[in-house]
Amino acid sequence: MIFLAKAAEIPDGARKLIQVNGISVALFHHEGRFYALNNACPHRQGPLIRGVLESWGEGPVCAVRCPMHGWKFDLATGDSHGRPENATVYPLIRQNDELYIEL
Amino acid sequence: MSIRMDQIHPIIAREYDYFMSEHPHWSLTKGDQDLELVAHALRVLLHMKTTPQHLSEYLALVDCQHADGGWGKMSSNKESAAWVTAFCSLMLIRGNLSLHHPRIGEAVRKCVRYFLETQKEDGKWSDPSWADLDAVSHPISFFDVLLAVGKRLVDEPTLAKVKDSWRKGMKFMLDRQAADGGWYDPEFHPTGVEITAHLIQDSIVADLLLGNELNVAECCRKGVRKLLSVQAADGSWDGENVDHTMDCCRSIMLVCSVLNMRPECDRAIERGLEWILQQKCEHGWPDFPGMETNLERTCDGLDALLKYKAYSQPVATAIVKLWGYAA
Repeated sequence: MIFLAKAAEIPDGARKLIQVNGISVALFHHEGRFYALNNACPHRQGPLIRGVLESWGEGPVCAVRCPMHGWKFDLATGDSHGRPENATVYPLIRQNDELYIEL
Repeated sequence: MSIRMDQIHPIIAREYDYFMSEHPHWSLTKGDQDLELVAHALRVLLHMKTTPQHLSEYLALVDCQHADGGWGKMSSNKESAAWVTAFCSLMLIRGNLSLHHPRIGEAVRKCVRYFLETQKEDGKWSDPSWADLDAVSHPISFFDVLLAVGKRLVDEPTLAKVKDSWRKGMKFMLDRQAADGGWYDPEFHPTGVEITAHLIQDSIVADLLLGNELNVAECCRKGVRKLLSVQAADGSWDGENVDHTMDCCRSIMLVCSVLNMRPECDRAIERGLEWILQQKCEHGWPDFPGMETNLERTCDGLDALLKYKAYSQPVATAIVKLWGYAA
């Protein structure tokens, strides 16, 4: 379990890029939930931290769209809904105000 | 022009030296590689006019072509995909204009067969990694180059099939232009910036150089004006996206040259290039301001500067050659 950030440092609606063991982790805080994804889009390694948060169809916002070529991933699962690869999602563990991930 | 050539030339020289120092990271002669990066690198060699010194790079690309005529994302992949196959095909047909190697000529003929066999009934090619409009744009660009400078590579019946396929692909794209001049794909390109920049330069404008069969001038003019209308105040496009800003600059340079729209476009191109130059890392360019350098983006940056150099020449055809639409 690796320390990622203090939850209070990332208010709702914010995001932060964090280096952990040589990996770039994109941390999003959206509507009360935290999400941690590998920052590199599996398509052409575009930075997901710069992505736009969107919904799938009419549903709630729960996905991030890569700013390079538009691949879109479920924030919670990394599912790309039909693209050849999915994003890597890291399970988050919250202990009090501290966020940890499993690599 | 506010960007002087004596500013640009040293940057091109330094960045080309850096690019060559990264040879092990893009060369197929050194092992398995990402073929989109390889194609970007071969385009740098083409536009630096150093292709004749690098025959082995082109033959290595031929060596990893699949039996069906295509390539996959990585050189070791066994399954072919349309987009990367188009990019590789373009580099081979253009490279062979100076290399004249029979194995490359045969590989190009295999590419032609691949695209003729994989086109869908409605004129598109499909690639799950790319929007349909992107996936159709690059094979059409390959056919544009074949029709412009490579007709002798194929026999008459094949050439007739290429022409039919080209018309169907062009129609697929032309039918999908929005009223505001852009092209959009809700799944991949909601802003439409990159796809519009790709389509007008990489495929559609070539019709004007191939006999103007489809009367695309107005469509291209609207596309350029759409791009001009969404340029940010700082000169960038699409949320400070370095790749997309380079795409827009290159696209506008070519199309405004062909359509005699330079007075309308010169300042936007300069502002875009000034912004691109401001984003440079010590070596190369990043995907976004402040990020680390990226080799593929560095190839794009070099390409953008080389195209600007051609754009600045008094001969209008100088820039057209850098898309392969003229020998």
